[in-house]
Amino acid sequence: MNIDEIEQELGVMQLSDSFFPTGIFATSNGLEFLFKEKKIQGMTDVVEIIKINILQQIGPSDCVALANAFDSACKNDFDKVIEADNIGFATKSIKEIRNASTRSGIQLIKCVSEFVKDDKILNQYKEDVIKNKVYGVFPVAFAICCNALKIKKEKSMMMMLYGFTVGVVGAALRLGLIQHFEGQKIIHSVKPIISQTIKEYSNKSLFEMWQFAPQVDIIQMSHEKMDSKMFIT
Amino acid sequence: MTHIPRIGIGGPVGSGKSMLIERLVPMLAEKGYSVSIISNDVISKEDADRIRDNLATKRGLLPENLVIGLATGGCPHTAIREDPSMNLAVIEEIESKHTELDLIIIESGGDNITTTFSPILADYSMYIIDVAGGDKYPRKGGLGIESCDLLVINKIDLAMMVGADLDIMRTDAKKIRNEKPFEFINCKTDEGVMKIAEHIIRDVLLDSVPKSAIAQKV
Repeated sequence: MNIDEIEQELGVMQLSDSFFPTGIFATSNGLEFLFKEKKIQGMTDVVEIIKINILQQIGPSDCVALANAFDSACKNDFDKVIEADNIGFATKSIKEIRNASTRSGIQLIKCVSEFVKDDKILNQYKEDVIKNKVYGVFPVAFAICCNALKIKKEKSMMMMLYGFTVGVVGAALRLGLIQHFEGQKIIHSVKPIISQTIKEYSNKSLFEMWQFAPQVDIIQMSHEKMDSKMFIT
Repeated sequence: MTHIPRIGIGGPVGSGKSMLIERLVPMLAEKGYSVSIISNDVISKEDADRIRDNLATKRGLLPENLVIGLATGGCPHTAIREDPSMNLAVIEEIESKHTELDLIIIESGGDNITTTFSPILADYSMYIIDVAGGDKYPRKGGLGIESCDLLVINKIDLAMMVGADLDIMRTDAKKIRNEKPFEFINCKTDEGVMKIAEHIIRDVLLDSVPKSAIAQKV
């Protein structure tokens, strides 16, 4: 690896690290509701939840938003970045998921702007975030930050999918659904789903974006209404 | 965007964080200061709901939507220190919509004597303990007790009953905090609570005139 490649890899590690501050550790994506309702029981069920989320929501929706925003950022086409932001926001039908996504996205942009100063799209997007002119959905914000750090598109998608997986596994661990070895087994078992998803959605247009997981929507809405909860979603 | 001064209040479960807020807000409100409260809780919105009920719904001291419960995924310490993103996001929303506020209070849940607030999140922090933990508590130290701007020792009325010597606690607090302030209080009777309000008005609000009073003059 040359120096540039090493720096890019360090960027991958930095943004993928759970230490990176985006607040995502406080989300369970509805897992907490299933746990409280005793509708989930351990490793196999957690894997299933992750798979459904990736195959029916994050892959066809967030990954497509990320990929399009990334391509547009590469071409310095800010209008197209905004289009991905608008459509990405519109696909988030659950209020708390939508809020968590924009709050994380906005904080991500602000954080990366602290140490990357010379990226035109990042600077422009940050200005519009501050003026409330853009939504700041997480996949679009993530695409802009990865592009600013010279991380490749497919790697950016991989990082977002990996981050989601680790987030759900972390929530499962804290809920006491699984133990730590099982957490790693889950992450390992999801790798083929992540790689297939990247292959399938890295070149889809915004108009091919979709998401359909009504049961997941209902679970997440039910979580939103819980009186007592540990997680935001 | 207007920066509204922020106070972080941390401390063990049951030490009286929420009760202190419930006692402080009316005192600050009486002097004209407008406050919003964010309650970071490990398992529920219970504290936020109780504070909302007591201060907003029943007494009308602040709007109900300015008492906010924030779930922290079982990691309240992370949410106020290593990764305060969600708290900051909520605060930015408050700051953009409620410029009339004088103060934001951020309550942290959790049970950890090493709790501290990220300096980007809180301008001033308090750590509250109570005498029922024993008079050894201040000298045990921990980042929360040592580094906060104001250490608060609550439930002094129970000292006799639990065999805690307040003089020992005073001496140890003075020693471990290197002359930084600490106060003894009893939230049940308000004893000492006005002193906490005075610390806030002097050290955080810098004796500024409440925004509501300025607006009235204009």
